[in-house]
Amino acid sequence: MSQFGSYTIYLALAFSLASIVALLLGVSKNDFRYLLSGRRSLAFTALFTTLAAAAMTYLFAADRFDIEYVYSYSDRALPLFYKLTAFWAGQRGSLLFWAWVLSLFALVVVYNTRQDLENRTTPYIYLVLGGTLSFFLYLLATISDPFAVIPGGVVPPDGKGLNPLLQNPGMIFHPPTLFLGYVGFTVPFAYAVAAMVTGKVDETWLRKTRIWNVLSWVFLSIGIILGGQWAYVELGWGGYWAWDPVENASFIPWLVATAFIHTAIIQERRNIMRVWNMVLIVLTFVLCIFGTYLVRSGILQSVHDFGATGLGGFFLFFMFFVMLVGIVLISASYRDLRTDHSLESFLSRESTFLFNNVVLLALAFSTLFGTMFPLISEAVTGNKLTVSQPFFNRVNTPLFLSLILITGLCPLIGWRKASTDNLKKNFLMPLAAMGSGTAVLFVLGVRGVYPLLAFALSIFVAATIGREFWSGTRARARLTGEGALVAFPRLLWNMRRRYGGFVAHLGMVLMVIGITGSNAYKVENQATLQKGQSMSVGEYTLRYDRLGKYSDRNREVYVATLAVFREGQPVGVIRPEKRFYSKADQPTTEVSLRSTLLEDLYVTMPTIGDRTVVTVRAAVNPLVIWVWIGAFIMVGGGVMAVIPRWKRKGEIREIPES
Amino acid sequence: MTKGKVNIRTIVAVLALLGGVAYLIVSSISETGVYYRTVSEVLASPTLDRALRVSGKVVEGTVNVNQERLFLAFEVSDLEDRTKTLKAIYSGVVPDAFKEDAEVILEGSYDRASNTFNAVTLLAKCPSKYVADASQTEASAEKEHGR
Repeated sequence: MSQFGSYTIYLALAFSLASIVALLLGVSKNDFRYLLSGRRSLAFTALFTTLAAAAMTYLFAADRFDIEYVYSYSDRALPLFYKLTAFWAGQRGSLLFWAWVLSLFALVVVYNTRQDLENRTTPYIYLVLGGTLSFFLYLLATISDPFAVIPGGVVPPDGKGLNPLLQNPGMIFHPPTLFLGYVGFTVPFAYAVAAMVTGKVDETWLRKTRIWNVLSWVFLSIGIILGGQWAYVELGWGGYWAWDPVENASFIPWLVATAFIHTAIIQERRNIMRVWNMVLIVLTFVLCIFGTYLVRSGILQSVHDFGATGLGGFFLFFMFFVMLVGIVLISASYRDLRTDHSLESFLSRESTFLFNNVVLLALAFSTLFGTMFPLISEAVTGNKLTVSQPFFNRVNTPLFLSLILITGLCPLIGWRKASTDNLKKNFLMPLAAMGSGTAVLFVLGVRGVYPLLAFALSIFVAATIGREFWSGTRARARLTGEGALVAFPRLLWNMRRRYGGFVAHLGMVLMVIGITGSNAYKVENQATLQKGQSMSVGEYTLRYDRLGKYSDRNREVYVATLAVFREGQPVGVIRPEKRFYSKADQPTTEVSLRSTLLEDLYVTMPTIGDRTVVTVRAAVNPLVIWVWIGAFIMVGGGVMAVIPRWKRKGEIREIPES
Repeated sequence: MTKGKVNIRTIVAVLALLGGVAYLIVSSISETGVYYRTVSEVLASPTLDRALRVSGKVVEGTVNVNQERLFLAFEVSDLEDRTKTLKAIYSGVVPDAFKEDAEVILEGSYDRASNTFNAVTLLAKCPSKYVADASQTEASAEKEHGR
């Protein structure tokens, strides 16, 4: 079976290379038959990559420890679904997963363009997809072979096991969703390159890839959020985001992609910012490759640092190559991309999009700069100067706040040029809401510039969105005679592209509230307790009652039971755990959570001492749950915005020119 | 955005924003930057005015834990030169991966007079169990099962 796996990789590589050759021949000879076989080769690449993925899955399920990769990340005692997810626990499997998803996406593109082979852009779209596939398949066939057997033909009786930190439900969804996001941006990149090569640089490529852009952004968002949630419940330090290099590696492309999906709207509506969008999609794609590279290269110290190999050179070469192609194509088609229109006024909706972009890119830059800073400073000064959370918080917090401000301003300012009268009318309600809401918070005891600003701006944005919902609903109700309760959901559904954006922003506002609350008002305490002793944290008192022990599958688990009192009233028990995995030489600390809409009680038991004395660490994290709820609404808004309109029968189709 | 038609106010505002970002980055680096040093470098360097991040190994037989008072004291040796050591003290809970001979990263300040590093944060790294480096995996596989 391992040989079968290797053969499928070789065949997939052969077909993807063949597709490149055939497509190039087809384009240069203008011969339809070559293009057809190039397309077919791409489909075969998808077939064999899928077989390779199936083989990998089988090898894990069958405990084939003669395979180095399986040996390194699995063992017999591992539950089946962790065996299957161990697929992407290491760098080799991750690359195979990347290639597999990309090959499936290529297949979808092939299907979508089945009528379009006459279109001059189509072969170039295939070429970019085939080229990227070839790169990953080449790595899999050479230095990163996931099917490599342990040299010398030894078959170990058991594997080394999966890192306990990875034995969490987060493992099922966090890596694949992140990869779906990374890989997804290959498709718009391919369309953009094809548009530039053929000189068809109008907004067609953007319209055709809108669903890819937004869904890739959605997957990237989900991946990042699930990573945060996983860190929150598994790493046990009480946070969901640490500006860890690998977190940053996924966040940087997310920021640029977010900028891109915003200015794509501008190009579709006003046909400006065409050069800019090309730059953004190239950057997004390069950063997605960079993210993939950073996770598995080990060039930076990080909690994700599960592996290191000599992949760096290949990835750097590929990124450099993509950048070069991007720069050459954009400068060559600069004339075509230029537009006669431009931003006409400072006070216009277009300019809020521009500032949104400037801020998002500044965030991406500062995050990238901070992440790479140790390497930069060592290269320049010889001293390894590092920056961590304080740096990112200091630089990025004001940027995030201005981003929220812009989110609120945007719908209040009209397209092209806003009149002063108009502005006064539009700003009145949101500003009043912000002022009174902030005053109430101040009276309630909210202090500190950043928390107050963050809450104030959140109210402001929520008010502008509420205003949009209200005026839309009123207009619809008047037109159709429906009641407001009927008109509102119908309005959202019928104009889902527009209102999906507002829903996403509303989700963002809720996330801001959660992030601000949990950062600014966190209360922590830690204590070493004997049975019967209590400790307090915030308004809670925890009484240590029992220490128990159980064993299941591949681990022994110690569990403490603590009675929880809030303001003196019993509200239940909480059970932090310490898990000792048989295959790991370090225990894991399992968080016990009591989550409410207002706050999380977060309890861990870092140390078990002699005679059942335990050290307990407890924290009250206010409003954390709104980070997850907000994220859910934000990606929901994204999905809502790309749900296609139902096609009517007898739809009018444009007849192709050729 | 071509032919010089972009509003001058827009350009000024963008430049002001970028200037602000540049200022934030530069000032934040000088205020929050931390030098990454090895134990030998800490012992050798004459001036240490900044916060430090030091990587080293926990020396066997030197770990002293007081669970009651959540206090931890141990010695850290250089990763390469095991004869160079400094004392480290840390208040707080012991990380899961912390143990004798484990690789640790300390952040805090160093007092030369007592050769003591006062760690504010303590990170511990599990020794290469999950390192998927091809050569290491092969080597360890042979060591464990090749006999």
